Amino acid sequence: MGIEFTRRDFLKLASSAGLGIFISPRLTSAVFKTQAEKKSATKVDIVVVENGSPAEMVQRAVSGIGGMSRFVKQGDVVVVKPNMSWDRLPKFGATTHPEVVAEVVRLCLEAGAKKVKVFDRTLNEPRRCYRHTGIQKAVKAVGGDVFFMYKRNYVKVPIPKGIRIKSWEVYRDVLEADVLINVPVVKHHGLTRVSMGIKNLMGFLGQNRGRLHRHFDQKIVDIATVLKPQLTILDATRVLLRNGPQGGNLQDVKWFHTIVVGTDMVATDSYGANFFGFQGSELGYLREAHARGLGEIDLTKLIIRKINLDKLNSAEARG
Amino acid sequence: MSQYLRRIRLAAQIFSLCLFVFLFLQAVYPYHPFFPVQTMLQWSPLVALLTLLSSHHVVAAMWPAALILFLTLFLGRFFCGWVCPLGTIIDGFDYLIRPKKKLLSSSSRFRWWKFAILTFVVITAIAGSQLAWVFDPLVIVNRVLTVAIFPIFVFFTEAILGLLWNVQFLNKTLFGIHRFLQSFLLPLHQPYFRQGGTILVLFLLILLLSGLGRRFWCRNFCPLGALLGIFSKYRILQRVVSEQCDSCNVCYFNCRMNAIKADCLSFNKVECINSFECAAVCPKGAVTYRFGWSPKSSPIDLSRRRFLTAGAVGLLGVGLLGLDFPDRNKRGSLIRPPGALSEDQFLDRCIRCQECVRICATTGAFLQPAWLEAGWEGIWSPVGDARYGYCEYTCNLCAQVCPTGAIHLLTLAEKQQTKIGTAYFDKSRCIPWYSGDDCMVCEEHCPTPEKAIVFREGEFVTAHGKVKKVKYPYVIEERCIGCGICVNRCPVEGKPGIFLTRDGEQRY
Repeated sequence: MGIEFTRRDFLKLASSAGLGIFISPRLTSAVFKTQAEKKSATKVDIVVVENGSPAEMVQRAVSGIGGMSRFVKQGDVVVVKPNMSWDRLPKFGATTHPEVVAEVVRLCLEAGAKKVKVFDRTLNEPRRCYRHTGIQKAVKAVGGDVFFMYKRNYVKVPIPKGIRIKSWEVYRDVLEADVLINVPVVKHHGLTRVSMGIKNLMGFLGQNRGRLHRHFDQKIVDIATVLKPQLTILDATRVLLRNGPQGGNLQDVKWFHTIVVGTDMVATDSYGANFFGFQGSELGYLREAHARGLGEIDLTKLIIRKINLDKLNSAEARG
Repeated sequence: MSQYLRRIRLAAQIFSLCLFVFLFLQAVYPYHPFFPVQTMLQWSPLVALLTLLSSHHVVAAMWPAALILFLTLFLGRFFCGWVCPLGTIIDGFDYLIRPKKKLLSSSSRFRWWKFAILTFVVITAIAGSQLAWVFDPLVIVNRVLTVAIFPIFVFFTEAILGLLWNVQFLNKTLFGIHRFLQSFLLPLHQPYFRQGGTILVLFLLILLLSGLGRRFWCRNFCPLGALLGIFSKYRILQRVVSEQCDSCNVCYFNCRMNAIKADCLSFNKVECINSFECAAVCPKGAVTYRFGWSPKSSPIDLSRRRFLTAGAVGLLGVGLLGLDFPDRNKRGSLIRPPGALSEDQFLDRCIRCQECVRICATTGAFLQPAWLEAGWEGIWSPVGDARYGYCEYTCNLCAQVCPTGAIHLLTLAEKQQTKIGTAYFDKSRCIPWYSGDDCMVCEEHCPTPEKAIVFREGEFVTAHGKVKKVKYPYVIEERCIGCGICVNRCPVEGKPGIFLTRDGEQRY
């Protein structure tokens, strides 16, 4: 599973970086951090952070991949796409953890984003989903812009590399955004077995999405050829292992306290399959995406850095 | 003094109409019980009386109705003149269409009708059939607002925004406007209701009656007015005419209820609604209102013969309404909201105000006013229609807003266990069953913690004899709660591959 980055390694790096931070926290940290991050970012494909609070894990994972400033430039408009499809409370694991989303939004704004937009085409009534998933409130609190998608604001996008579909409607703000950050939750799904990053892109689509479900593996990859998030942040703080994608039973939810970050959406999804105890290559849509050159499916070919924050006692870790 | 009284009355009318519409607009998700939207519907003494008579159950929340009846004993029909939203709308309409001379403005010929109608609905209620929903003015207004006027308003607002949307550079502004309107007024989706046409036409007929004479409905047909009239027979708020009156008849002609006799001096306590119009128009300023007891009462305009006829018609009506189906509980496609009382009790209590239908439209959009699914007696009562929407798993708002308790309020946990029906696959339509292709939309949407729709892999033989593997979906009956989201989201066009029946439904 690639190169293990132990806690010891991490502490070494952190302590050297920490020296500068101690001297002049605000000024030097920005300079020093980005240099350190840039250096390591070139080597790392996936950063996995475990056993911390959701916000802290996101923070560390993003800085591990090169910091938000690697993706978000001053004045950018960013679209952050959580999964808030269902009218379910966060504890059921059917939607992205609100603290994860809020932290991503906060990091974007910190990196100088002009606006961070958060929205989703939900499957239950939107007002209920936005509210009960806790995402609306959390994102508003950090200054993000949460809104309901407007039916007229979709644009028909040609899909030149599409096999099953040649065009589909996509929400306009997605196309106009400078940066796209996908923040899916890892969960079970009846059709694709696991729903992660690529499946999460469906929340940007208009039209009758029910029609995508026949020959789904090919169709979802068709979509992925035109919607490419620069950054994927897998929320595996807790994973819905059965009865997905909607869940509703706490016994089906297992707490992993993990955040997985990567720039290759196939690679992160492939990593996410591990939570269910199987390989990415066992997922039809991922094989399809890999075959079409959208990303790397073989984790042994990737550089994966693991950071264990070890902030949780064992009882908490078990959830 | 005289103008002043009229202005207060007008202000009260506008205030209560605004309050009515305001409460109506609050019946949406997210719902704040701080504004209990059903309150004003609970003010109607007619609804309180008839649901009491037919269901033998006192709805405690209806105490304001009793208060209004009590006040009517002293003040007369102030409810009609000051509070009733239908009365205010009719007044406004009268003001708008003001013809020079109305055909029947000064006619008392039809006045007895409202007492006959009251007799009719009371008799039917005693015999077991509650008909307040046909005649109650508050219900009439709430119903037409819900299924016709508000959806039409949304439709045109959206249409205008849609037209302007074609102007590219306006898009950002329009989105902002839309977002603003959504925050307090517009729903996220256009609501669709069946029966909107019927309900709107009947409402317009009531308004158009004004062409025959002012407040024609109120004077001649409204049984709530009749009930309040009976209570105001001995009212102590008196119309007092001073000696300055020269019987010029201006008040007589201006009285919208035709409650003043041609001598200008005496008035009909049963008919007067305290509009204070007479006091305001009197050129001599001779008319005023004062409290004072007088043993003189006004007669109720209903002869014994008409009373008996109306009662007899009521009994016939009950037979007609109640005997059209052997067992009301066995109408197969009739899906009631979760927590609905047993069908008889439900129909006795449900006043078809559409409050549940409206709030449901902002969540699952499942409930629709029935036409004949529940028989004649069940017209416009709420039924679930899974092709319109589905019962939202985490919602119990319909019960929260029901003014008469026809839907028993269940906690969310109870509601999630309550079965309102069962879904069954139509194997000649369902994609895996008829074509052997995988499809899982229903399973994906099934909200129960242990999914009620499960797959079992099996072999499918195509028309050409090829054998392939397919995941066949099954419904586990005891897990299915009948929410209907599977039917709603089934991608099969036309008749869906899964359907809902009332099998196994629980009533309270």
